[in-house]
Parts: sequence; structure tokens; C-alpha cells
Amino acid sequence: MQNKNKNIKSQLFKVGFFFLIVGIIVFVSTPLRKLKGDVFEEMRLAIFQLNINEDNTTINDVNTENLEVTPENTEVAEENDKKANYSYIGQLSIPKINLKRGFVSKESRYNNIEYNVTIANEADYPDVPRGNFILMAHSGNAYISFFDKLYRLEIGDEASVSYNAVTYNYRLTNIYNQAKTGTVAIYRNPAVKTLTLITCTHNDDYNQTIYIFEEI
Amino acid sequence: MDLSLIQQFLTFITLPFQSFLTIEILLIFIIIYLFLIINEKRQNNKVRIALTALIIFLFSLLVFYFSNDMIDVLSEIIRTLMRCFYFPNIIFYILTTVISLIILIYTLFKSHQTKLNKIITYTLTLIHLYLFTNFISLAITTNLSLIDTANIYQHDNMFVIVLSSQIIFIILIIYKVIYHFCYIRHEKLKNKQ
Repeated sequence: MQNKNKNIKSQLFKVGFFFLIVGIIVFVSTPLRKLKGDVFEEMRLAIFQLNINEDNTTINDVNTENLEVTPENTEVAEENDKKANYSYIGQLSIPKINLKRGFVSKESRYNNIEYNVTIANEADYPDVPRGNFILMAHSGNAYISFFDKLYRLEIGDEASVSYNAVTYNYRLTNIYNQAKTGTVAIYRNPAVKTLTLITCTHNDDYNQTIYIFEEI
Repeated sequence: MDLSLIQQFLTFITLPFQSFLTIEILLIFIIIYLFLIINEKRQNNKVRIALTALIIFLFSLLVFYFSNDMIDVLSEIIRTLMRCFYFPNIIFYILTTVISLIILIYTLFKSHQTKLNKIITYTLTLIHLYLFTNFISLAITTNLSLIDTANIYQHDNMFVIVLSSQIIFIILIIYKVIYHFCYIRHEKLKNKQ
């Protein structure tokens, strides 16, 4: 009888231990995936910075005799573009919330909210005069919630965008919410170059928040 | 940072008396220390339990007051571990290889080990060393500088080799730890019998 009780206790202990392990794995999997994403992002940014430095070195050695674009050059460039579809073309930094994320070109299939901070189709690139560079990302607890800390920003906070080896500095001038309807209206000063960040409103399932930064 | 040795010593001495809180902390730790020493003579189990509870309570209090910072610190620790696993720098990678090599040589000359253990250890360590050799030869053939970590991992081949090595190394370490625990336990049981 005692042996039987011991066996049942032992079985219960094993089942309990199994569920405990499964519970811990389920509980920590999302934060761990987010941290893994952060680590990979750091490396992608480091590679991006490395390539910028290499490009800058190459710029000093440009041979002006070969500046003509030939069909062969175009083919090589297209081939390289296909290979480098996850290569970052720039980087967004917001020091206050310790945010550093790269972004890919609009044409890349990784310019998608499920992979990266995404450039909106309607956006101008940062080098366009008086243009509006629009970036979107998820917020919340998922590992792809790249804009999860944007709600901590206040008017006057600064952000910078590195693009084509040039850094553009911006200051936050306006924050407003809009209902999630699938589209968003952007209210900005058209005379100034702006950076617009769009994400879901913190702790609110029905609204999205728009952050308007103006170039300093 | 630029203090002389005497200034560092003086700062250390005056540190506990800088505020009322630091004096309180000092007193709490002196009391815990005295209780631990006195209890070593008396061997009172209740005091042991009370002291353990007190120390846990004190540290829980710290964790409670600095919970946000604690989460950040914990995240940073995990992030550092992940960096070491996915993108180790060359020093860390060489260090794992040296450990692997030491384990291999130790197993080679240790006679009181089972054959199965030796075979598993040889397999894992040799795969690890083979991958490291591949890594070095690839770096030489592609004329790659190993000093900059990003420079290494922009090549997919390098990333795959290092990641495989890390997985093998972790399996080896886990295996060794489990084996030694089982071995020690087995030896103890044997001695008891």
C-alpha cells in the first residue's frame, strides 16, 4: 500500500515537473525571442556600419574614367540587389528609449512590418528636400514590437536617421492619436523635412499614435 | 577613478558613514555576521532558518525597489549570453576551442572512464576542433580580418560554422556536467555499499 502511494506521488511529481518546465518555456519564449531579435539586429547594424565605412573608403578611390553606366554594370547591380535584399539601407536611432533599428529599401520583401521597421509606400527617403520619411512598426510585447517604447517619448526628444552615409537629426514636435481604420492622416509642416513614426497606441487596441519629428 | 591608493583606501573607510542609510546597511550586515559566527558555536537550527529568511527578505526588498533596473540587468545578462552564443568574438571562440582541446587531452590520458564516455567526448571535441580548423582556413582563404566581429559574421559560411561549433560545445559541456554529477553520485553510492 505504501509502495503504491509512493509510486502515485512519484508519478504526480514527474507530471508536475513536466508541466512546470513547459510553463517556464512558454512564459520565457516571447522575451527570449525578443532578446534574440535584438542581438541579431545589433549584428545587422554592425555589418551595415561596416559596409558604410567600406563604401566611404571606396569613394576616395573612385576612378572617374569608368563613370559611364553600361548594361553590364546595371545587370551586376541588379544581381547584387537581389542577393542583398536584407541589407540595411539606413538606421533609425532614438537615444532616449535606446532604440536602434535598421531599415531596408521600399522594394525589399523584408520591408514588411513582420520583419522590420517598415518604410511606408507613400514615404520620401530622408535625402528628399522637405520630404516626409514615414516608418511604421508594431508595439506591444511581441518580439517584432520594435516601437514598443515610443510611448515614453515627449515633445522635444530627438531622433536621427542615417541614410546614404549622411545623418539627419530630428526633434519631436507633435504626437496625436487616430482610430485604426486602415489609413492614417499625417498633419505636418510641408515646408520642413519630417520624420513620421506610426505605431499602435500604448495599452489601446483601437487607436494608433503618430509621432511627427521635424529636422533640426 | 584617478584616486591614489591612499585616497582609495580612505574612501573605502568613510563609505559606510556617508549617510544614515549606509550606516543602517552596515549595522544590518554586522548583526547578520555576528549571528552567523555565534551560531556556529551553538548550532541552533532556528537561528539558521531566521537568518536565511532575513537575507532573502533583504535581497527581495532590493529587487522590489529596483525591479525595473533588475529586469534591465537580467535582460542584459541574457543578451550577453546570446551574443556569446550566436556571435562570439574571436577571443571567446578561441577560448571555447582551448577548453575543448583540454577536455580531449584529459579524456585521452584519464584511464578511469567508461568507453562510451570516451567515444562521446572524442566525437564532440573532434567535431568542435574540426569546425574551428575550417573556420581558420576559411578566414585565411578569404583573407578575412578576425578582429572585427561584424566582419566575420557578414559571411554566411562563417556564421554557420561558428553557430555549429557553439551548439557542439554547449552539448559537450552539458554532457560533461551531467556525466560528472552521475559519476560522483555513483561513486558515493558505491562507497556507501
